[in-house]
Amino acid sequence: MSAKIIICDDEQEILDITSMILEAEGYTVIPTINSLTVTELVASEKPDIVLLDLWMPGLSGDQVARQLRSDEAVKSIPIIVISASRDGREIAFAAGANDFLEKPYDIDALLSIVNRHLLGGEQIAS
Amino acid sequence: MDEFHDQFPNIEQADIRIFAAAVNASSNGVVITDNTQPDQPIIYCNAAFEQITGYTKDEIIGRNCRFLQANDREQKGREALLGAITAGEHCKVELRNYKKNGQMIWNELRISPVKDSNGQITHFIGIQNDITARKNAENALADEKANLEKRVTERTQDLQESEDYLASIIETIRESLVVLNEDLKILGVNEHFCKFFQVKSADVIGKGLLSLGDGQWNIPELKDLLVNVLPHNNPFEGFELENEFPDIGRKLLVLNARQIVLEGKYQDRILLAIEDITERREVEQRKEDFISIASHEMKTPLTSIKGNIQLLERQAIKNNDTAYLNGFATATKSIARLERLIYDLLDVSKIQSGKVEFHYTTFNFDHLVEEAVKGVQVTTPTHQLIITSKCNTDVTADFGRLEQVLINLLSNAVKYSPAAKEVKIHVTKDDEFVKVAIADTGIGINADDQRKIFERFYRSERTTEKFPGVGIGLYVSKQIIKEHKGTLWVDSDEGKGSVFNFTVPINRA
Repeated sequence: MSAKIIICDDEQEILDITSMILEAEGYTVIPTINSLTVTELVASEKPDIVLLDLWMPGLSGDQVARQLRSDEAVKSIPIIVISASRDGREIAFAAGANDFLEKPYDIDALLSIVNRHLLGGEQIAS
Repeated sequence: MDEFHDQFPNIEQADIRIFAAAVNASSNGVVITDNTQPDQPIIYCNAAFEQITGYTKDEIIGRNCRFLQANDREQKGREALLGAITAGEHCKVELRNYKKNGQMIWNELRISPVKDSNGQITHFIGIQNDITARKNAENALADEKANLEKRVTERTQDLQESEDYLASIIETIRESLVVLNEDLKILGVNEHFCKFFQVKSADVIGKGLLSLGDGQWNIPELKDLLVNVLPHNNPFEGFELENEFPDIGRKLLVLNARQIVLEGKYQDRILLAIEDITERREVEQRKEDFISIASHEMKTPLTSIKGNIQLLERQAIKNNDTAYLNGFATATKSIARLERLIYDLLDVSKIQSGKVEFHYTTFNFDHLVEEAVKGVQVTTPTHQLIITSKCNTDVTADFGRLEQVLINLLSNAVKYSPAAKEVKIHVTKDDEFVKVAIADTGIGINADDQRKIFERFYRSERTTEKFPGVGIGLYVSKQIIKEHKGTLWVDSDEGKGSVFNFTVPINRA
């Protein structure tokens, strides 16, 4: 079964392109534009990895990351923050994210960072 | 018997000799003129007279005394003298006389008439005293006194004018000004202060600055700065104070203070200038926020464009469809340029507001240069980037920012030497600095442009058409090197190429 990825971004075009890239690699992608409900979505879908934008209306990416980290059931799921803010890196790590990718990203960079954390998760699981 | 006896027949012979000897020994010049002859010639002069005038007896006897005045006839003393002679009276005058060598002497002349038994004036006796030295001293003293009075008058006027001048400046200036004494008591405020803080000057004069309002000014750091202004003549600038003030609300103020030194009576005073930068800071902040948001917003569509282009390119490669590969490569390059532009814009905005953060670490400087060269070489098929020397030195600096400078300078070297095949990078060091010189053999920069290329948004007219760009890179680079306490400069010959050099201190002190 292919790895399941949840992406949350308030920009539809970012959701579209990121989904396309990941789906082309064979991942199952669940995109959502609503940051207020993404925590529930993660809880019910139990994805292998979560990709979060930082600045979103409703809840910001670091707020979502903190919520996920405080939920026992999903706290070990890797979180990658993808943001256009260069100072987003520090904010992301402070909120408990596993990694940070700056927009505009290269496809290769996106794939390698996702692969790395999926691999890391499997290694921990095995 | 002799001429003296002839003139004064009633005087005893022995007496005459004594008188004659006495007169001749006198240090005053003595002359006797004959009033019975036309033009009253001199018939006697003593040795001192010869001495004082520089003429010999032969040249003196037989002449009228006026020959001593040379051509200087318009003299005040002369009138009095002529009057006395006509009236046959004693008189004392001061005359300008001239020695045989032309030198002017002040002659204090006393004349006395000698009368015969009929009361007719037969002779005048003139006693001459050289008072040049005294006269000069008197004149010098008078000059000095006049000069002094003039200076006092001028100075007083100057002071009055400069006081009026200062007062008009102080009242006109659109900045709040406060004059404090050494105890930080308010001695005066200008109109702007009263308007700005909505107070009357009478309500604040005489009060301590730190006790004004509800203690908005009572800030230990400010007090420290202010009490140090006078004893050590320690002016300060740029102290920022943000507080809620009665009636006018929250204000951000910037304070400058210095000692007033204005001739005597204003010593020991502090002039405190208060500038309201609340609005300016808000505008700066808004501008910065705008650029920050705008560049963030630009990155979203750019992410979509970049992702889609790269995805299409991958699929094209997978399908062995080579028709559009050049198009993809061009688009990728354009995207990279747009990305760099957005970063530069952000940098300019941050640099201007002094908000660039620098992260200093210690690293091998050669490694930094190699990384930057490698990065630029990858996208540069036309030129060979050659590192010709190394420094083998660790420096403490911001790796990312210096890499940005290197990439900018290397990209420029490539861009502005389209006909060349290589760019050389020399890395050297001395006791304090590492130095990088990036040399191209391109179009070069004329002397006029060399001065301006580090200015923000400056573009040389020659390059605008052939070489696109917005004129940010060198400005940002210069600011980054400046922040490192290094120097960035260019040596260039138009038509032969340019060498961009920068230094960075090895130890950040």
